[in-house]
Amino acid sequence: MLLQLNNIFKWVNSGGQRIFLLKDINLQVEEGEFISVMGPSGSGKSTLLNVIGMLDTFDEGEYHFLDESVHTLKEKHRANLYKEYIGFVFQSYHLLDELTVQENLEMPLLYKKYKGAERKAMVADMLDRFNIVGKKDLFPAQLSGGQQQLVGVARALIANPKLILADEPTGNLNSQQSEEIMELFKKLNQEDGVTIIQVTHSEKNAAYGSRIVNLLDGRKV
Amino acid sequence: MLKHNLLLYLRNIRKHKSSFLINLVGLSTGLTCVLLVYLWVFNEVSIDKFHENEASLYQVRRNVPIGQGAIGTFTSNSSLMLKALQEEVPEVEMAVAIYEFDGNARLETETKKLSAFGHMASDDFFKVFSFPLISGDKNTVLSDVSSVVISSKLASRFFGPDVDPIGKTIALKEGEEEIDDVFTITGVFEIPKNSSKQFDFVLPYKTFLKYRNPDYINWFSNSSSIYTLLKPNVDIKAFNGKMANFIKKKNENVDEQVFFTKYSDNYLKGSYENGKQVGGRITYVILFSIVALFVLLIACINFMNLSTARASRRLKEVGIKKAVGASRKSLVFQFLTESLLLSFFSLISAYFIVLLILPWFNNLTGKELVFAIEGSVIFTIIGITLLTGLISGSYPALYLTKFSAVKVLKGKIRTSFGELFIRKGLVIFQFSISLLLIVAVSVIYMQLDYIQSKNLGFNKDNVMIFERQDGLITNMEVFVEEAKQLPGVVNASFMQGGMTNFSNSSRGHTWPGQNEEDKEITFRHAHVGPEFIETMGIELKEGRSYVKEKPDNDSKIILNETAVKLMGLKNPIGTIINMRGPNREIIGVVKDFNIQSLYQEIAPMALLCRTEWVSNLVVKIKAGEEKTTIAALTKLYNKFNPGLEFNFRFLDNQYQQLYLSEQRVATLSKYFAGMAILISCLGLFGLAAFSAERRKKEISIRKVLGQTASQVTIMLSSEFVKLVLISMVIALPIAYLLAKDWLSQFAYKIPLHAGYFIGAGLAALLVAMFTVGSQAINAANKNPVKALREE
Repeated sequence: MLLQLNNIFKWVNSGGQRIFLLKDINLQVEEGEFISVMGPSGSGKSTLLNVIGMLDTFDEGEYHFLDESVHTLKEKHRANLYKEYIGFVFQSYHLLDELTVQENLEMPLLYKKYKGAERKAMVADMLDRFNIVGKKDLFPAQLSGGQQQLVGVARALIANPKLILADEPTGNLNSQQSEEIMELFKKLNQEDGVTIIQVTHSEKNAAYGSRIVNLLDGRKV
Repeated sequence: MLKHNLLLYLRNIRKHKSSFLINLVGLSTGLTCVLLVYLWVFNEVSIDKFHENEASLYQVRRNVPIGQGAIGTFTSNSSLMLKALQEEVPEVEMAVAIYEFDGNARLETETKKLSAFGHMASDDFFKVFSFPLISGDKNTVLSDVSSVVISSKLASRFFGPDVDPIGKTIALKEGEEEIDDVFTITGVFEIPKNSSKQFDFVLPYKTFLKYRNPDYINWFSNSSSIYTLLKPNVDIKAFNGKMANFIKKKNENVDEQVFFTKYSDNYLKGSYENGKQVGGRITYVILFSIVALFVLLIACINFMNLSTARASRRLKEVGIKKAVGASRKSLVFQFLTESLLLSFFSLISAYFIVLLILPWFNNLTGKELVFAIEGSVIFTIIGITLLTGLISGSYPALYLTKFSAVKVLKGKIRTSFGELFIRKGLVIFQFSISLLLIVAVSVIYMQLDYIQSKNLGFNKDNVMIFERQDGLITNMEVFVEEAKQLPGVVNASFMQGGMTNFSNSSRGHTWPGQNEEDKEITFRHAHVGPEFIETMGIELKEGRSYVKEKPDNDSKIILNETAVKLMGLKNPIGTIINMRGPNREIIGVVKDFNIQSLYQEIAPMALLCRTEWVSNLVVKIKAGEEKTTIAALTKLYNKFNPGLEFNFRFLDNQYQQLYLSEQRVATLSKYFAGMAILISCLGLFGLAAFSAERRKKEISIRKVLGQTASQVTIMLSSEFVKLVLISMVIALPIAYLLAKDWLSQFAYKIPLHAGYFIGAGLAALLVAMFTVGSQAINAANKNPVKALREE
């Protein structure tokens, strides 16, 4: 088992009323799964993803990741945990405009304890694996959306995470680019055994996953 | 990591050149101010510190009641003081007496005549003070009564650069105290630039005592400065307590208090008021240090405002980095690195600016500062730069890194009330400082202008003044008569001392109908020649002036109005009084005229007529004919003084010298104020940009709903106008108090009317509106659909 959410609640108080963003979520994820989270806008998909990714907190419930109880960990330990095991892919890629492809890939490694030579090797390996060696010195603005997201995925993978969290990774792409990214996810999942949780609106993309979680108004349905 | 940060920073600079330039210009201007003032202050505080015994070197001062309850502080002492201190006071390790010549003396060798300024000092002079001796033994150079020690500069003026002057002789002609003798050079000294004492030669004090009229060697007659080296471990406070009545014990009739002040403090803290140390040059040292730091602080604030204002484009980076695991610490470090880099870039450009403008700055301050890269200077400068980087970088660094990754990446950052408060507070602070400086500059300028155009009671224009030397000693009156015949000369006369200071004063005079306490009134007096009053354009109130046709001037006196008023004389003309000699008849009363700077009120004054004491000649010439008249006078001068250079000054130039320090303050503060307002506006520019960015959505919605571009412009501008108005409310009362305080030291001053303050406020407001307006118009004219779509 990779992670387990037990009775997770998250809410905000607005005008004296408690509005639930997540309501009694229970979810168990095994290693090697490919899960698609679906649901209408505002159903809590992204919030759930952020909670899993430890970028956001929750108000009630238990969260176990590997052997750690996330809800009891301090901020710093939590950061170390997700730094080591989780990679993020964003809808709008979120590459740093001022860095080249190569430098964008290297960036996450700077905040982990890798030596310069190691970093170089890992970046070279990743460029190779994604067939983007020729683009390593280009800046994001010089790439198409699909290529940018490719770099985004490569960046998420570079530190060998166990889990990839992707928030509408194809939301800004056309259908052909979407398909390429989804194929890539499928390959990563099947050949490399990376666990993937993606948020998506598209039935077609959701079908790439091994399991679909449906949300409505913060509740699993 | 560092490499990555640097790379990112450099690429950011390239991408956002304008904000980098604003920051660079601001910070390097600020640093330039600080560097210049640092060099100046460093020089000011180093004055007189080079003496090896600086820590135990003290000067003897006297506090003396000068009538009407006031106390004057004097550095002159009786020549008896030297021996008394040496023999009777165990705390005194060594003491030295110095008689300082009043003006230049004439020195002659067989081939050359030169004017030079000298001291007469007792044996231990070169042991107490550390003026380095190039040749001669500091223990013995002054032991012989006919020895003279000269500066290396004077040596090369007399004998050429590479000649050893030891053993050569120099004659001193018609010197003060009627010294006329030949002296043998026993030593050559150097005077460091940072010495407040500057002199060309030193004669033995023994010579002074030899020529001094024995009647004047007593505890009443104060001619010499006395300096002492105190033994280590002497507690100066207790010692001053013990010594206070030292003179009184010697002579019961002298009601004076003796105290010792550290010699090296005297330069900066040399002014005394009513027996207490007040102000002095230290005021300017502190003032300029504060102003320079404020200018730098304003630049730092700019950096903070600009960095936080343009936060949105860095926030994405922060969010992404946090999402991939960057700790807040590493991000804070990254931003601090950037601000430190910027401040070092600024330091480099400030360094070159300083090199470029240092000659100009030296001219302005009358210094010879050099920007030498040496230990302590580097240390301080790097320290200041580090501090600048840290101060300006800390707030942006903490601000930018505090948001959580999710919020940043979703664009859910809301500016809190606290941040706005801080940012607005910083702008208010900047503008308050700028306003203060603007008011300061205008008040100082107006006051100086007022002083220089004020009717002094005499006409200082086109009056030449020069020393009575050589042939003029004997033939002064002939010279004056011949000069009057020259076509361009309006009038000519002579006087003791100069018009900017009647240094002689006396008290204890008597006149008919005098109150007992009025004996204490101190009168200033000078000896003048016939037609002096006419030459100077002084107005005669009643009676007559001294004229050549009526001799017997020794028994006559002319007073000023203040003197007559203080003495309570109803019909002064013809009254016989005792003043500087018995039974003098008052022949004239002149309207008051200023002989000192306008800090002081007019003192009671007496004009006496006696040729012997006269030291200067004054010649009034016609305006417009200066060149030919000066040429004719030079010819005449050379007839009387063959081989002597005709060194003259114009009185109005001399008068300007009186206000040299004010002129410097005025000019410097003008530049400082300009820089402050420039940097503040750069900051405002940044903030306006921020506001426009932050309110992009609001502006778009307003425009979609039908608000016109001009309405939006007004709305955006008014936000900043409010800030400037608040600064005015804060700064102007402070400015008023400061201006009032500064003016209070002048006896004659401009009224402080509202114009200065309203003017400064309007100026700041206009500049601010201009700056913000451009940004606001820009924001108001953007296509609203674009902004809304980005949401």
